[in-house]
Amino acid sequence: MDNAIKDELAVDECWIVEREKLVEVVKSLGYDVLIDVVGVDYLGMENHKGKRFAVIYCLKNTKNMARVRIKVQVEEQEKIPTLSKIYPIANWQEREVWDQFGIVFDEHPNLKRLLNHVDFEGHPLRKDYPAKKRQWLSENDQMQDQLEKRLETLGYRVL
Amino acid sequence: MQNRNSGFFAGKLDELVSWGRLHSLWPFPYGTACCAIEFMSTESARYDLSRLGSEFVRFTPRQADVLAVSGTITFKQAPILKRIYEQMMEPKWVISMGACACSGGFYDCYCTVPGIDRIIPVDIYIGGCPSRPEAFFDAMLDLQAKIKNQSYMEERKKKLKEQFENIKNWRKNDGQCD
Repeated sequence: MDNAIKDELAVDECWIVEREKLVEVVKSLGYDVLIDVVGVDYLGMENHKGKRFAVIYCLKNTKNMARVRIKVQVEEQEKIPTLSKIYPIANWQEREVWDQFGIVFDEHPNLKRLLNHVDFEGHPLRKDYPAKKRQWLSENDQMQDQLEKRLETLGYRVL
Repeated sequence: MQNRNSGFFAGKLDELVSWGRLHSLWPFPYGTACCAIEFMSTESARYDLSRLGSEFVRFTPRQADVLAVSGTITFKQAPILKRIYEQMMEPKWVISMGACACSGGFYDCYCTVPGIDRIIPVDIYIGGCPSRPEAFFDAMLDLQAKIKNQSYMEERKKKLKEQFENIKNWRKNDGQCD
């Protein structure tokens, strides 16, 4: 692992990787399951050195049951390359991280809100989002575009 | 009883209609969380809500009388709940089951509606997290007592008045709707 630094604070295996080298490192590891993508906001944390946000990828190898965590630190304006070309599940997990923290994933196929509704403004799990601010929704968004795409891949013709 | 001063026949008809209504309350289960499990328990053999005449749980709002909202309602779900309430036929009643549906419960945060009475009118509130089936029975009995006092003839009078006024306005405007 030339591209990664071992995280001294972590108990188990955790590596800190630069965001430009993320795809390269994940490919060279060759782990077959992406378990989770987690966002962290370090705003206002004592003794924190480094950038404001972090994205943590939990990976698992089902052949020898090894687990590893990969941590990418990122500032508010910076973008992280998407892993959705390697792991299809990363599509939705990265959408969730973007929805809750506002971390932008570069070349993501469909960076839309996943948990919050379509009229929502801001990113609720950021530390500077007011905890009791409520945003009403009057009309649901249509899922038509995704549904039609999926129907077409299954061989149906959309009229 | 406010409605019994309208003559013998009308009073008896009123009684008959409300008797029919209160013994055939068909609930629509809007279950989103653990209160829905308690609602299932209320429906099933041990407690058996059918004893009160709520024989069927209807899964379409067009055939239901009582909307039993059991569970947390988020802002993303609020338009769906409102639409289901509007699709129900008159007369309709709403039971808000559990702390989450009544007030948002402990989800005092960015995503949960602080009480469904911000969206739709509620007749009966049930506390508890989750509420027990006995509490739901109590609420059903309260609702039946409430329906007993509601007057079918008064409602009908109001509606007929509205219709007559509409027709009058329609004639005034030479057959053109406003």
